[in-house]
Amino acid sequence: MKVENHTHLQDEQILWAVIDESDLARHAQEHLRGCPVCKRKVEQFRYELRDFGQKASLAVPPFSRPVRLPREKPAAGSHNVGWLPVFGAAAMAAFVVFFYFMGMETVAPTQFASLQNQENLLEDESLMREIAEIVEVPLPADVYAISGDNETGFYEGLYEISGDDGTGFAEDMDEINGDNGTGYDEDFLEFVVPDLQDDFQSEFI
Amino acid sequence: MSLKITALVEKARDGNRPSFQDLVTIFQEDIYRLAYYRTFSQMDAEDLTQEVFEQAYRKLNSLNDPQRFRAWLYSIAVNRCNDFLRKRKYMALLQMRTAQEQDFMATGKDMNNSYNDKIEKKRFWKQVKTMLHKLSSMERQVFTLRFMDHRNINEIASILDKNESTIKTHLYRALNKVRGEADFFKEYRESLS
Repeated sequence: MKVENHTHLQDEQILWAVIDESDLARHAQEHLRGCPVCKRKVEQFRYELRDFGQKASLAVPPFSRPVRLPREKPAAGSHNVGWLPVFGAAAMAAFVVFFYFMGMETVAPTQFASLQNQENLLEDESLMREIAEIVEVPLPADVYAISGDNETGFYEGLYEISGDDGTGFAEDMDEINGDNGTGYDEDFLEFVVPDLQDDFQSEFI
Repeated sequence: MSLKITALVEKARDGNRPSFQDLVTIFQEDIYRLAYYRTFSQMDAEDLTQEVFEQAYRKLNSLNDPQRFRAWLYSIAVNRCNDFLRKRKYMALLQMRTAQEQDFMATGKDMNNSYNDKIEKKRFWKQVKTMLHKLSSMERQVFTLRFMDHRNINEIASILDKNESTIKTHLYRALNKVRGEADFFKEYRESLS
């Protein structure tokens, strides 16, 4: 298997020779020139590749629809821009319209401070209103219910909840209490919560 | 590239429509075959050929060197085919019938050939597809351009916008894969053993 002190080309070298002989090392090129065995291998593979290409060319169905050029060549610069820029422009326009109607207005940086002051003032005002309400009605509504107070707005609130017209609730309560419709049992209440005036008078009697 | 083609390209760039029509006549079958080797469909290949020349006609002014016309035209064709194959992949996902399948089912178009001939061709393309399927995308491109479109290494590098050594490396890998498996290279394999 030796030719002029050189071994035959490896399979990889045969492939490189098929692609481009000049890529082989010099001694391999020299061997290939002088070795009929290696030369035959390279030629065989080249022949088969060429044959394959010719077969492929013959197996393609005949070209039956000759090319027709467009009537007019488009003016220079007028090329198809595609749908992407159009879509981008439409999206931008939709964005602008959306924010315009949603009231997102641009605010100059100098106006930010006065806006913040206004917000603080509004917050303070609502806080003061809450404090005033607590001062007017210091106890929770349940306490008024127990005490039977009907001037604190508690019953009205209950009427609102129950959807009543303001008369039914008292009647129901009267039924529960077994009362005659004039209110709670005054004797009982007087026993639980003695009148201050009575107490005061009793001390001096 | 021949002087005739260069002259035609120069005239066509100056707006001479018949010159471009001559270029179409010279190259249309090559481009059609290139498209067919990638799509395996006559209908698709013909559509793509039409599109390639329309695009070339529109963009001819962007070609700076008329001597590069062939490589420029082939690069348009290769890119168009790649786009088409990408789209076809998505269509296959949607299970829409492709022109390739329609071609397969069509019986009337190629009536000049005998039945045996048609069977033989179908078998041939099936083998080609099986062989090319084993190659990576780049190996397939390079192999097809070299051995089916008969372009040399320098042209392939220009068409694919790669350097020559990259093309040779991909070509080497492609040959290494196909020589062992394809039926086309049986005799070569026997010569090795």
